[in-house]
Amino acid sequence: MDLTINKAPVYVATGGKDFNSDLPTVLFLHGSGGDHRTWALQTRWFAYHGYSVLAPDLPGHSLSGGEAFVSIEESGPWLSNFLKAAGVKAAHVVGHSQGFLSALELAKAAPEKLLSLTAVGTAAAIPVNQALIDTAKASSAKAAHMMCNWGFGPGAHMGISSVPGMQPIAISRAIMSRNPLAADLQACADYKVGAEIAASLDIPSHCILASADKMTPIKSGLALAESMGVTPTIIEGYGHMLPLEAPKKTLAALRAFIEPVQSKRAAA
Amino acid sequence: MTNSSYLKPATIALHTGYRPESDYGSRAVPIYQTTSYAFDSVNQASSLFNVEQGGHIYSRISNPTVAVLEQRLAALEGGSGAICTASGMSALFATFITLCSAGDHIVSSEQIYGSTATTLRHTLKRFGVTTDFINVNDPVALKNAIKPNTKIVFCESISNPGMQVSNLPQISEIANKLGVPVIVDATFATPSLNRPLEHGANIVVHSVTKWIGGHGAAIGGCIIDGGNFDWGNGRFPEMTEPYAPFHGMKFWEEFGPTAFVMKIRSEAMRDLGAALSPHNAFLILQGVETLELRMQKHVANTVALREWLAEQDGVTWVRHPEIDAEPHIAQMFPKGAGSMLCFGVIGGRAGGAAFINTVSLASHLANVGDSRTLVLHPGSTTHSRLTKDAMEAAGISEDLIRVSVGLEDIKDIQADFAKGLKAAKRAAG
Repeated sequence: MDLTINKAPVYVATGGKDFNSDLPTVLFLHGSGGDHRTWALQTRWFAYHGYSVLAPDLPGHSLSGGEAFVSIEESGPWLSNFLKAAGVKAAHVVGHSQGFLSALELAKAAPEKLLSLTAVGTAAAIPVNQALIDTAKASSAKAAHMMCNWGFGPGAHMGISSVPGMQPIAISRAIMSRNPLAADLQACADYKVGAEIAASLDIPSHCILASADKMTPIKSGLALAESMGVTPTIIEGYGHMLPLEAPKKTLAALRAFIEPVQSKRAAA
Repeated sequence: MTNSSYLKPATIALHTGYRPESDYGSRAVPIYQTTSYAFDSVNQASSLFNVEQGGHIYSRISNPTVAVLEQRLAALEGGSGAICTASGMSALFATFITLCSAGDHIVSSEQIYGSTATTLRHTLKRFGVTTDFINVNDPVALKNAIKPNTKIVFCESISNPGMQVSNLPQISEIANKLGVPVIVDATFATPSLNRPLEHGANIVVHSVTKWIGGHGAAIGGCIIDGGNFDWGNGRFPEMTEPYAPFHGMKFWEEFGPTAFVMKIRSEAMRDLGAALSPHNAFLILQGVETLELRMQKHVANTVALREWLAEQDGVTWVRHPEIDAEPHIAQMFPKGAGSMLCFGVIGGRAGGAAFINTVSLASHLANVGDSRTLVLHPGSTTHSRLTKDAMEAAGISEDLIRVSVGLEDIKDIQADFAKGLKAAKRAAG
């Protein structure tokens, strides 16, 4: 699906089915340098099981036009406009890494638009080493090389893939190398108010964390979960790139949280 | 280290794609000799068919043993994904038909394997896909050959049998700028000696029957997706338009860097049925595990043999990519340009036949890339029906002996060849 936000084209993956705003909607937000393909093995399940799915390429990323956000704060109003343009009053929002920070800003800008919020492989703040930002300014490809080394857990480094024949590290590197990593990383580094917003959330929330996450270490994720007042799902043995590394476990955890929330809403 | 892995190639070759995690902790990759896979439930079955999750359904499409080989070869080449096929030729055919429809056009190097040339020149032509054969190392000829309907620039990194080294950095720059992917048959090189994706190519194809398998025991092929080509450039509706058999899936939007191999898995593997058997995948994996070591020895033996041949009476010439090499060859092949060489033997066609009939350690057969030294005299076998002029037009002289240098002790290879040269001299009178 293609939308236009702030005069720029936005590509939105809908999980292989036409988007229907009458169905409960799940909004998936990718992380730094990523795109909708982060969620390829989660979106199709939701789209074919009673939900409508929105997985946009955020501005400046992959198939979308426009410029990348220069601050996380920009993303809140943008996401609010995005949901409006898609005809969605409120959605279950799922954010990976930087995508979760953007989701927090949506919660701040338009709290009525979140039915629930799920943090995946993230923390309330994502400090970024200045050397990595400088590398990304010079070359997204070089920064992607560094990030994927840290971002993927031991299984992916041994070439284990849930999809036969594929190499998740190479897929991520290919996507990140073409996207505005420097802007994304700088926006993450500058963002300081995540913990405050997370602590003030008044919607059903959940955290899905990875025990071998080196980008947003589990300690930071656990602190986020505590501030949100939730018991996190911890996926053992995987790294930061959970949706790609552990797609089935990530989907199972998302379903275990979102389906009861949606059922309760439907019953109410 | 490659784009797919932070491990070194020798480590990738031994470990990538498999962890001993079955019920029995099998350290070797198990052979999953099965046609199909039991579903946990109706829901799981439908989610597999609907590409909601990865997994195996039927071994014509994918198989766990084959998948280990695919992931290992993808990592060795630095690609985003790979798919194995029943042979190198089926890998090429799957590649061609995935990108080309009737009315499309291919630009191919004129120096390629004979069966591939026949596929392009005759078989694909019957289906409305035409091919122009050019010297791909000529930048002007390459630019001029690419038309609006060109879908592929095809070459071999080291050509068979001419041993021309395609200038991949130059070819890739020209073709990609014009929106066309470069597909390289890298069989003669193996990822141990050259990784075409690092030189700008977009898709790599192998006959894994040869050096990758390395033991002359199993036929197989592999296609590696570089994940580095923009299929959304307007030239490839096959990759961007809805694909009806999969609920209107758009492969480029859905899969990005693995769009090409996912399309092959979804379409060509279904239609052609040219799946690699799990047992052959296992045999080829045994070869992959020692690829780095074997290629070092293959190259060392080749250097020693070619230097020795150059000093022998009865040898009229020696050809190998590193002899009188152009600059791009050293850049592309710092560890050696393969273990194929040709030489001319005194006595022309009769001398060649005498050489072949006399050698006994070297095997006389129509294959390359075995652990054992292989020899072939095209003048008395594959090209025996051709006139001298027709052979020369094909770049093959009557006195040409093709050698795939094996792993035997070099002294034994030299002794065997010395006997053959003595016989050739006798035949020459």
